[in-house]
Amino acid sequence: MSLISVPFLFFLLILLIIYYRVHENSQWKVLLLFSLGFYFLANPVCIIFLMISVFSTFFLMRDPVISHLRLTVFINLGLLIFFRYGIHFGIHDITVPLGMSFYTFMTLGYALDCYNKKTEPCGNLLHYALYISYFPQITQGPIGTWKGMIGELTRPHPYSSANIKEGGYRIIKGLFNKLVIAGRLSFYVDTVFTSPKGYGGLTLITAVFFYAIELYADFSGYMDIACGISRMLDIKLAENFNRPYLSRNIQEYWRRWHITLNDWFREQLMLPAVTSNWNRKASRALGKLFPKAKKGTLRTVFPLILVWITTGIWHGAEAVYIGWGIYFAIVMLLSVCTMSVMKKVRKAIGWNDANPAIKVFQTLRTFLIVCTGEVMFRAESLSDAFTIYKNIFTATRINPSEIAAALVPFGNGNQAAASILIIGMLIAGLFITELKKEHDPEAFTGHRYLYAGFLLTVTILFGVSGQSNFMYQSF
Amino acid sequence: MKKTIITLITVVIISCVIISAKNLFSMDIPIGNRGIRAAINAGDLDILFIGSSTFRCNIDMPTMDEAYDGRVYDISYGGNQLVAASIQYDEIKSRSANKYDLIVFELNPMMLTEKVALSDSRVIWDLSWDGKKKLWEKLSSSGNTDSSVLYEYFVTSGMDDLFTYPVTEPFYSTRYYKGAKTDETPSPGPEVLENAEFDISGETLVPAQEEAVIELLEKCRRDGQAFIFLECPHYYRLQEDPTYQKYLDYYLDLLDRNNAACILAGDVSFDDHEAAYFEDMNHMSAEGRRLYTKKLIKLLKGPEAP
Repeated sequence: MSLISVPFLFFLLILLIIYYRVHENSQWKVLLLFSLGFYFLANPVCIIFLMISVFSTFFLMRDPVISHLRLTVFINLGLLIFFRYGIHFGIHDITVPLGMSFYTFMTLGYALDCYNKKTEPCGNLLHYALYISYFPQITQGPIGTWKGMIGELTRPHPYSSANIKEGGYRIIKGLFNKLVIAGRLSFYVDTVFTSPKGYGGLTLITAVFFYAIELYADFSGYMDIACGISRMLDIKLAENFNRPYLSRNIQEYWRRWHITLNDWFREQLMLPAVTSNWNRKASRALGKLFPKAKKGTLRTVFPLILVWITTGIWHGAEAVYIGWGIYFAIVMLLSVCTMSVMKKVRKAIGWNDANPAIKVFQTLRTFLIVCTGEVMFRAESLSDAFTIYKNIFTATRINPSEIAAALVPFGNGNQAAASILIIGMLIAGLFITELKKEHDPEAFTGHRYLYAGFLLTVTILFGVSGQSNFMYQSF
Repeated sequence: MKKTIITLITVVIISCVIISAKNLFSMDIPIGNRGIRAAINAGDLDILFIGSSTFRCNIDMPTMDEAYDGRVYDISYGGNQLVAASIQYDEIKSRSANKYDLIVFELNPMMLTEKVALSDSRVIWDLSWDGKKKLWEKLSSSGNTDSSVLYEYFVTSGMDDLFTYPVTEPFYSTRYYKGAKTDETPSPGPEVLENAEFDISGETLVPAQEEAVIELLEKCRRDGQAFIFLECPHYYRLQEDPTYQKYLDYYLDLLDRNNAACILAGDVSFDDHEAAYFEDMNHMSAEGRRLYTKKLIKLLKGPEAP
């Protein structure tokens, strides 16, 4: 059952009625029941694997010793590797259980936190099962921490019409982003990325730019829907996005994009790696090669490479994802290693970060760096990605026939101009909204009804039907 | 809660008004140089073409104008299906008393293998409410529809055109003349055409499209309407493709059994190996379009034609 389907609407309605009718101390049980029901309806067989993760982690980590931790990691990562990467080992015809990559990270995060004494082991199996299976987040996150979530899930939730309204508004925003913006851009992006060899540079640049927006609208659209549903249930979910495309440097971008995954990697992989013995030795060896480099910088080199390659592999074992991970590892390393030099350069040339022109330049530069990496993320193969890079640099011309050719993937000549106008207006609207919110987080709140009504009308009239899957669902 | 309900009701009312307006009145919105309404406004004609983008790109209307004193028009839609062509024929007949000396339907054998679908949202824009309903019945009876197709058909299709009409209509008008393309599309060159990938080997016959051909023939005969089927030349790689030839034979057999006349690509002496004449496998470049139209006119008018 997709979060954007009519059956789900009824599912949510029934849940809300029962949820606010039962005693407040029993609300979490209703949530658990509906969460398991949601998962069962998605794929009845796969609930077995969810249960294996829940039971193994819960019982093993009641006594958080190293052998139990290892076994938990072995079971959970083993299942993930079998399902996600089995195809690369010749295992075909397997269905990856819904949200497996996401809930595996939650179980591993819980196990590691228990082992590292950052949290107390859970004493209630049903509480733990709810934490892992909570339906708005199981499909594609956010990857909430046990500490941050369990209190929120199990506390009493009195009915409040403000929550229903706020939640509803957030859902409408999510539907708009997913069905109107991402849905419409997907036609263009899919057409071009399926066979990039046939397109000129201008078309490829447009497709890359559109893909960046599509990915954001799709993923953040899902988050808006998930957070909106949770808000209706009076539950606060961790946010995954904070207007990432307005970031002024790449580190900031990764603090604002897929926040919970990056937090997970920082907490569970980056920080332990930085303080590990192997890294100490490796950075010492690196220090001999670069004697002038700062110690702190050297110690982040190998953990950064490790984290980014792991992040790439988490998305998939295909070469494009590994390439994507390596690309961002290099970009992050360059950014970290040149930080002090750039500081001096900026000082020498009188660069003022507060200057609006410089802010725009930095934002555009970051966006371009991200778009360059996203080419690999979306391309069908590395060779396709390199074709796109090559053609962008060698076959980009701006003349009437190239502009006309760039319109072709919008559809046949009968609709292309209208489609590009509508998409252009929608993207401009999204950009202006994000920009305004960046400077004033309370913007538009005074006209919420008008804004929600407008978004809903546009979604009804311009939404692409039949879009039930979200892009990150496949990870 | 009161405000929420008022907002929701307002959204529903506004949406319903816009959707109804689009479905009921889109065909009356003035569209210059293309579509059914513009074709009807052109009055009695010597030749009316009904087909897909192949007609739109391959028939040069200024050349046709010269030969027929302007009494020609082309109704064409992207990927126009035989099922839709049959309904378009009904529309031009039911919405006017215009006389057409000859209606030329497109003969593209691969049309017989197209799954019944809405290929071009302009079809919806141009049809009357009855036409829309009829086409929907055809789509749904082919079993190729679900709720999302229904939504697309009655709600979203043509909405972009409606909202951008004041800006896009003047732009479109410059790109069409009597339903056909006016732009000077060049050939991408032999290298591109020789390497362009296409694979039609897996295509299978769709009975609904075959039935639409028979329906079209019956309607024309019922109305005493003269008609002919026209196969435009394709780039030789497609023209000589075994699957293409297989369905061409099938199509010809179908027309033969029903005593329907046709003009085949081979009947017009046109070099389908000349890359300069083609934009892609199906569509001609401006150079090819003009040359082909001249040769077609000679054939349509007879050997004495200038």
